[in-house]
Amino acid sequence: MENGNNHLNPCAFRIEDLSVRFDGRAVINRVNLEVCQGGPTFLLGRSGSGKTTLLRAINRLNECFPGCETSGRVCLRLGGEWAEVYAPGTPVELLRRQAGMVFQSPNVLPLSVERNMSLPLRTALGLPAEECAQRVEQALREVHLWEEVRDRLAAPATTLSGGQQQRLCLARALALRPEILLLDEPTASLDFKAARQIEDLLVELKSRYTLLVVSHSLSQAHRLAEQVFVLRDGGQVERLAENVFRDKEALLAAMDELV
Amino acid sequence: MTNGASFTEKAVCILSWGAALTVPAVLCTLMGFLLWRGVPGWSLALIFGDTAPLNALLRGAPVFDGLWPACLGTLALVALAAGIAVPIGIASGVYLAEYARGRSRQVFSFCVDLLAGIPSILMGLFGFALILLLRRTVAPAANTGLLLSALCLALLVLPYLISTTRLSIEGLPQELRLAGACLGLSHGQVVGRILLPAGMHGIFSGVILAVGRAAEDTAVILLTGVVANAGTPSSLTGKYEALPFHIYYLAAEHQSPAQLTQAFAAALVLLCLTGLLFAAARLLHARLEKKWKTGTTI
Amino acid sequence: MTPPTNRLAERLLFCATAVSAVTVLAIFGFLLWFSLPVFHGEALASLLSWQWRPLRGEFGILPMLAGSLCLSVSAMLLAYPLALGICCFVHGAGPVRAARPLVIAVRFMTSVPTVVYGLVSVFLLVPLIRNAFSGSGFSWLAAGLVLAVLIIPTIVLVIDGQFRQVQSGLGLTGVALGLAPIQQLLRLTVPLSARGLGVAAALGFGRAIGDTLIPLMLAGNAARPPHSLLDPMRTLTSHIALVVATDSQSLVYGSLFACGVVLFLISLLVNLALRGLRAGHD
Repeated sequence: MENGNNHLNPCAFRIEDLSVRFDGRAVINRVNLEVCQGGPTFLLGRSGSGKTTLLRAINRLNECFPGCETSGRVCLRLGGEWAEVYAPGTPVELLRRQAGMVFQSPNVLPLSVERNMSLPLRTALGLPAEECAQRVEQALREVHLWEEVRDRLAAPATTLSGGQQQRLCLARALALRPEILLLDEPTASLDFKAARQIEDLLVELKSRYTLLVVSHSLSQAHRLAEQVFVLRDGGQVERLAENVFRDKEALLAAMDELV
Repeated sequence: MTNGASFTEKAVCILSWGAALTVPAVLCTLMGFLLWRGVPGWSLALIFGDTAPLNALLRGAPVFDGLWPACLGTLALVALAAGIAVPIGIASGVYLAEYARGRSRQVFSFCVDLLAGIPSILMGLFGFALILLLRRTVAPAANTGLLLSALCLALLVLPYLISTTRLSIEGLPQELRLAGACLGLSHGQVVGRILLPAGMHGIFSGVILAVGRAAEDTAVILLTGVVANAGTPSSLTGKYEALPFHIYYLAAEHQSPAQLTQAFAAALVLLCLTGLLFAAARLLHARLEKKWKTGTTI
Repeated sequence: MTPPTNRLAERLLFCATAVSAVTVLAIFGFLLWFSLPVFHGEALASLLSWQWRPLRGEFGILPMLAGSLCLSVSAMLLAYPLALGICCFVHGAGPVRAARPLVIAVRFMTSVPTVVYGLVSVFLLVPLIRNAFSGSGFSWLAAGLVLAVLIIPTIVLVIDGQFRQVQSGLGLTGVALGLAPIQQLLRLTVPLSARGLGVAAALGFGRAIGDTLIPLMLAGNAARPPHSLLDPMRTLTSHIALVVATDSQSLVYGSLFACGVVLFLISLLVNLALRGLRAGHD
């Protein structure tokens, strides 16, 4: 399963021997993974296999939960240089801005559309109002939301539709100019049409960002993926060759065998 | 259809109906009696006595037979107590919800629970002991007064503020914390910019409940400086009047039917005040709950 | 790593939290310190007697302790079944449409100032008791009845919260199994709420024993243990309120603070019980 590696982009980040335990129970165990730039790279697996935990290990979001222990190495580019995510001196806030994240259900803040976008820019980056407004518009255009919300920037973000909210969350992450986007089942809570919009966006964004997508949907991986990994129960990661995930039947057969 | 257990069911039904009828009936009787005796006493003279209201309001003319000094006293007392307790209570609630971990969290939580369970008369006794200590040591002339009462009342309502703040913040969805963290905000920024504003309704309803509690308590101020006749409060260390104590005092020591009517009218005033505060707090609380039940996914 | 402002903020928050702990310790410390003079020798014997005659140097606080316990236990005996009945009514034994107004009424009761209950009872309940039986009407009975009314909302709100939690966890399971609402209540909700029922009892008792104004206004304040429901009595709390206002002898104060220590220890016990109940829950 190791053919087809030659035309891939350079490595964007690398996970070595990563284990995550919650209250002593191992959720992922000694995972090794190398993800190339661009993508989208898909991470498949059954529910409960630790996909979300693996994703959250990259921007150290697991630390927001009590009882979490992480060991192993994660290396990625921070501001042009390779950095070790779990090294003691790593600025975790910078890391989380460089590796933006989108959740399964849109997690807009209970604020206006505009504040949702500008709060992290003003607070985390300390940008002046003018530049902030510029970036907000730019990011909203990038996700094709600007035309829809330009007249209701002051409205609460919760009044947007589910698909709009999810695109707002995507734009909110993009406005921070990340290098990597971590997407945790970004279409799972959306209807068919809104999901399609997000999928189209992923294709557009892949030239500018490294995309790592956790998904349940085999057909989505089949259609969009440049690279596919399967997380098996117990935390082993298998890489699928391109000829496998480009072929629906082969993909199904491979998944049956692996998980 | 019926079986052997239906006897228990019947008994519980009877008990339920009995309780559900008795308690509201008692409440209605209480309120009805209060209205019957109190409403005739409602007039401007109830508040201002023989003094012209404008004189009392604008020029601080002394009011002798009215509730005005007691109202002012309660107002000053509650404002001072809230001024002391609200910042400490909110800060402490935030600390317990977001920062304290492990053993310190357990110890502090237990202390807050314990403080909440201490009878209010002991807060008063504590204040009284404080004065005894001051008299024996640095300030032989120390005496009970407004500030001391406010301090003890602040301690009394502190646990309410802490636990409402804590619950409001802990009850927020975990996604909010994650959303803030994955946008690169520091923990402090997540707390200050996202969690506190989001939990503000709940915290504010806690503040209102605490104010209501401070306004109605009698046991604390009984030991720490309230008196029946002090006029409008003039200094932080001076004696003062307060509505609940005024009612208590008149109930025991009334000289005439008119004074008794005044007591009932004053009780009605106090009840309206605490009832309004209570309604406001419920409204805010309901808004908080509604927001988080409907707002997250569509 | 962490910016210095964050550190400073955390320190400040910690200090605010420490206030509660320091206060609890300070209260206990003060009470103990000021009651030390009566905790040895003759004074202690006098303290643990049934006679309160300060002018003769007898400072027994046992009548007040007995009064406190009698009053709160009797108030609980009345309030708890009523509160439980209300909760059952709200959660299945009564019509659904009556539940909400009833809960609102009970919640409203929490906001009624104690002094209002006291005032109305002095002029409504006490004359009733005086006319129906003999004596002054200021009695264990009067204080017990009103104290029960005072603590009902506390108990109801705790049990109601617990029932709600259990029932939302059950969802439609019971109904889908063909249980009537009252059957679901008795067979599932109540047995699953055992700890909540215990917590409610402890909180209600704590509230009852800590209340000052109701016994002060209604119980007649005679410093001897009551022999019947119509006897006047005095509780630890009202004892403190009464004596601070009148006496100033050193040993009298000592016995006063000893009452404080006893009250503090009772509330500590109640809290430990609550903690035990909650710890078992986790």
